[in-house]
Amino acid sequence: MAAAGTCGTGTRSTGSMVAAASTNNVTSFQRRGPRASGADSGCSRLVSIAGTRPSVRNGQLLVSTGLPALDQLLGGGLAVGTVLLIEEDKYNIYSPLLFKYFLAEGIVSGHALLVASAKEDPADILQKLPAPLIDDSYKKECDEDVCSHKMEPDIKMKIAWRYQLLPKMEAGPVSSSRFGHYYDISKRIPQELIETSKWHGFFLPEKISSAFNVESCSLTPGYMKLLQFIQNIIYKEGFDGSNPQKKQKNILRIGIQNLGSPLWGDDICCTENCDTSHSLTKFLYILRGLLRTSLSACIITMPTHLIQNKAVIARVTNLSDTVVGLESFIGSEKETNPLYKDYHGLIHIRQIPRLNNLIYDISDVKDLAFKLKKKLFTIESLLRAPTLFLPQVVSFARGCQRPS
Amino acid sequence: MDLLPSNRSPPPPAPTQGSPCGSASSKDSVEWEGRSLLKALVKKSALCGEQVHVLGCEVSEEEFREGFDSSINNRLVYHDLFRDPLSWSKPGKALPGGPLEALRALDKRTGSGPATIALDSLSWLLHHLPCPILCQTLHALSRQDSCPGDTLPGEQVRVLGLLHEELHGPGPLGALSSLAQTEVTLSGTMGQASAHILYRRPRQRPTLQTQWFSILPDFSLELQVEPLLESQPPSDLHTPSVDPTTHLTFNLHLSKKEREAKDSLTLPFQFSSEKQQALLRPGLGQATSHIFYEPDAYDDLDQEDPDDDLDV
Repeated sequence: MAAAGTCGTGTRSTGSMVAAASTNNVTSFQRRGPRASGADSGCSRLVSIAGTRPSVRNGQLLVSTGLPALDQLLGGGLAVGTVLLIEEDKYNIYSPLLFKYFLAEGIVSGHALLVASAKEDPADILQKLPAPLIDDSYKKECDEDVCSHKMEPDIKMKIAWRYQLLPKMEAGPVSSSRFGHYYDISKRIPQELIETSKWHGFFLPEKISSAFNVESCSLTPGYMKLLQFIQNIIYKEGFDGSNPQKKQKNILRIGIQNLGSPLWGDDICCTENCDTSHSLTKFLYILRGLLRTSLSACIITMPTHLIQNKAVIARVTNLSDTVVGLESFIGSEKETNPLYKDYHGLIHIRQIPRLNNLIYDISDVKDLAFKLKKKLFTIESLLRAPTLFLPQVVSFARGCQRPS
Repeated sequence: MDLLPSNRSPPPPAPTQGSPCGSASSKDSVEWEGRSLLKALVKKSALCGEQVHVLGCEVSEEEFREGFDSSINNRLVYHDLFRDPLSWSKPGKALPGGPLEALRALDKRTGSGPATIALDSLSWLLHHLPCPILCQTLHALSRQDSCPGDTLPGEQVRVLGLLHEELHGPGPLGALSSLAQTEVTLSGTMGQASAHILYRRPRQRPTLQTQWFSILPDFSLELQVEPLLESQPPSDLHTPSVDPTTHLTFNLHLSKKEREAKDSLTLPFQFSSEKQQALLRPGLGQATSHIFYEPDAYDDLDQEDPDDDLDV
């Protein structure tokens, strides 16, 4: 995986919808390195791909997930070469939104897309992506929402007035809007953006022939075909560095919808002890191997609430890098709980990877809830009154004392 | 698959036209059987002028057609899997290839006009086919056919399925529920049947409704209002909640005058405009603060600058 040297990028976004608020950083201090013309990738330290940035903690190359709030929770973004697994909510309403944000971010940043689904045609999925918002119109949206939210606007903090200056969870657009854009769910993405983007689609009913002969290999035929397709695209388009004459490096964003559902031919959701129980785990293992050797990032949505065998869920979690679970309140008793009345569900960050690092990048806020407004999907921390009496752990530390 | 009717008003509704295509599954149990509801829906579709294909697996054709009049029976195309499910009689009319081929044949057959496919029952199919294959076939059935040139909204296929929920574990039930657009669970109290309808719209929250109904002998559907329960279960068993704000030794509530006094109080660390003015204009040549210092006996009041000794 390439480690980016600087984060200054040229304007490569293909759409004109995104207004560039940031200026190109032109300084008088130029780095006098070897003038690599791009062919020699060994000493080009200034590899900068549009839509990516290095992590501030360990220099890992990150891409945005499309939701800046989620980027913040994942430690800056999704690392290139990793898998983001979204555990779907029960009625599958909110997880397609995260899926669409990821793909829309890819289109706006100019990345290549690979969309795989067994339920919907990938062309239809791309038509329904949300439209990106220009920075000023997002500020207007934010202000409108804030004004409508304010219940007691004249109560300002009198004693602790310095705390009003603390940044809130949902930050507005960052100054360099190259990384992480905002989208309007109520509008569709403009057609010309889709046409100028490079995307590959994998729709399972078209790829699988109608003769259902059960093969004896351990992977279900659907998974096998998908893996071959992904490998083919990575090799042909040169995302793993196999076509060195390609000048510009780019990221491949892979999106797989409803993996593990019966529509993929996998019966892991149907029975508890199924014959092909290792099919899904093998798929994830091979997929991760493909991703680690190429410049790509993957999002997978999986209906884990349908999987009957809990051990499989644990294995799937271990085989993915970042795991985010969505729990919606519809139909559960939490819907009437006054604590949750402003929100539509909870979001659980179940796993964060530890990549080239000694510690995990876990955010401090653990109680998170999401809300689907008319135009935006927001993630907020669920503020609760602190518990007064925390169990104090008293430890007796005995030093090593020599018996006298 | 979808459920007709979708409007919930108590007067008998007209058969709906605008219902979207998709799949619907009705779950019944031993106490509340669902075949009569299925037949009522089939009758409604037939009255709308649609062609109805029925894949019969559990009851014989005569039994299914019983109760329908001839106009409906003419529109009903019955694919019989009950008589010869394993296709032992080779030259017979039985469908070769078993249930999977029968389903695929249904997929190809509905090419003209809107159609309704009734599967009686999904439980039988689940027992004879592996669940993922059944799900994939049902999904292919309920998708709009991708024949070129077919963009008419009337070319829609509705798939209705009957599922006996006691026969299956949570796995297949969950898998089929996630596929279905509408799910009707039958239950009832005291001889009155009710249907719990869960309707999932594509990008909106699902709605859950309960509708009481009864089916008349000629298989027409009659919607009813909820019956009054004669025997109310003993409710209100919770203890009356105690108000914790009574009998306190301190005052939790402020009167109006007290509130005004509290608001007008300036706190010591509050940066008010008066303080700002006082700081900006330091008074008429006077410092606002004075320092009074009385030296001790031990204080060293050396006026020299100790840094002068440094040789810098």
